[in-house]
Amino acid sequence: MEKKVLLAEDQPEFGAGFELALTMTPADVVYMVRDSGIKGRGGAGFPTGIKWNLAGAASSDVKYVVCNADEGEPGTFKDRILLEKYSERLIEGMAIGGYAIGSSHGIIYLRAEYPYLIPAIEEARKNMIGKGLLGKNIRGKGFDFDVEIRTGSGAYICGEETALIESLEGKSGFPRNKPPFPVNSGYLNKPTIVNNVETFCAVPHIILGGPEWYADLGIGECSGTKLFSISGDVEKPGVYELPLGAPLKDLLELAGAKDIQAVQVGGASGRTIPAADTYRSLSFGDLPPGGSVIVFDSTVNMLEVLENFMEFFVHESCGQCVPCREGTLHLRNAVEDLIAGDICNKESLNDYFKLAEVMRITSKCGLGQTAVNCFVDIINNFVDFTDERISGECCCERGDQ
Amino acid sequence: MPRNPEEIVTEGIIEFGTGRESLVQLLTKVNEELSWIPTIAIEAIAKATRISVAEVYSVVSFYSFFSIEPRGRNIVRLCSTISCAMTGQGEILEALMNEFGIELFETTDDGRLTIETTSCIGLCDQAPAMLVNGEPHVKLTPEKACDIVRGLE
Ligand SMILES: Cc1cc2nc3c(=O)[nH]c(=O)nc-3n(C[C@H](O)[C@H](O)[C@H](O)COP(=O)(O)O)c2cc1C
Ligand code: SF4
Ligand code: FES
Repeated sequence: MEKKVLLAEDQPEFGAGFELALTMTPADVVYMVRDSGIKGRGGAGFPTGIKWNLAGAASSDVKYVVCNADEGEPGTFKDRILLEKYSERLIEGMAIGGYAIGSSHGIIYLRAEYPYLIPAIEEARKNMIGKGLLGKNIRGKGFDFDVEIRTGSGAYICGEETALIESLEGKSGFPRNKPPFPVNSGYLNKPTIVNNVETFCAVPHIILGGPEWYADLGIGECSGTKLFSISGDVEKPGVYELPLGAPLKDLLELAGAKDIQAVQVGGASGRTIPAADTYRSLSFGDLPPGGSVIVFDSTVNMLEVLENFMEFFVHESCGQCVPCREGTLHLRNAVEDLIAGDICNKESLNDYFKLAEVMRITSKCGLGQTAVNCFVDIINNFVDFTDERISGECCCERGDQ
Repeated sequence: MPRNPEEIVTEGIIEFGTGRESLVQLLTKVNEELSWIPTIAIEAIAKATRISVAEVYSVVSFYSFFSIEPRGRNIVRLCSTISCAMTGQGEILEALMNEFGIELFETTDDGRLTIETTSCIGLCDQAPAMLVNGEPHVKLTPEKACDIVRGLE
């Protein structure tokens, strides 16, 4: 069942949550966010209240509130919808974040592929200024806040928060070592909170509805609602809002998935599961609820899907660390060999599975650590080594080994 | 006539300043206006920001939207990630290359058009999709894509 809060037709006026927050102490705002149990909507699922608490406690005259609008995970487009229609809500959420941690500077890092969304964001900023909710000494509370838009330039890795910060600083988007964490030393080495578009959009609702109301929206341990982008072999691709923790099959039903061979949840770096596992839940404890769901029907050759994803990772690896830079290449080559019939049995892949494990453990950032998921899942679950396409005309019979 | 690259850099400096954090913004400005980043622009930016030319080059090469090779006035970026690949991106690319007589990442002789592929552009619900000079075009067919590109200046 859909449960619309962020995308509700009828929702509180933009700015109302910020107005209410301004009547509270910054610490109380942070506690409200913490008590709601909301976890970051960008994929990693770090508790937002804890992040804000740390940044609030860091002592510095200058701090930054950064919105991650780099949305680059294949299959994800929920932030595009939010930016198109709810940029005012986003800016409101960022202003609340600024008030909570003591920052006057907001930056929206927008991916270069979304330049056509800039007018909507600028319009939203103007509306907020018009209402007196951006600028100097907002509502006479002695609090200043404004936002600027900065754009990326076509690099998936810049969605990783420290690479994003490097990019904002005018550098190549190489992820940083952590610690220090951005909450202590982020943009220009100042305390910085980086949050996803959807996270900021949820905050005003939390302030207005209260933390218990928000927490109860989710199923079981999960808190709040979540947007999911669904595409591939479905009748009604698009963005759906469900309680976090809902079973994947609910979403598949809404989108009209009829013939299901595989579902990839969480994008290229997520998990790929068979139809029989769609009872599982979209939650931080189970299937990654980052936002992307792609359905593949029974006509799809999953090896070709895997090749497409490995190509993506080869292209998008920043190249800073060896396991990821070299590992993605080797895994891609293995998939090409499988397709060409130069590898025809699973045993020949043992070294590649070991390599995948090494990448998972030793890569510096999430890209290299998760690039192996689709390789492991698709080879284990969707490649039939008795199939003609793989075993027929194979290298062993051709006698070149 | 395209503007002198140095003029664009000078204008960018007034807008963004010369701090380290202005580098990607300056490069973006030149790249958007000229479709690519000529050496004189790189040198002017390096001088103004006091960053070495080599370092500026390395930043340029990091980002896939930047180019140090001349590109066409119009840039087509066809998404090659999975939802688009499954819905006919390959045929669209073929059709575009045939129609305009260039290979992937090449530019037509008259400097009108460059065709590129790119990772997911967040329009998977309306696949296959492409960006033409930043504007989205969706639910493409080979014919539709060729029509759109034919209509460009
Ligand atoms: C390779 C990689 C790409 C990422 N891309 C994005 C992205 O496009 N958008 C996003 O919000 N978070 C992305 N993240 C997660 C961010 O690093 C970070 O966790 C997030 O912006 C924090 O915000 P949140 O707590 O509100 O989710 C990415 C992480 C990795 C490792
Ligand atoms: S894991 Fe990959 S993307 Fe991340 S730092 Fe290493 S090379 Fe770069
Ligand atoms: S896969 Fe082409 S737009 Fe996402």
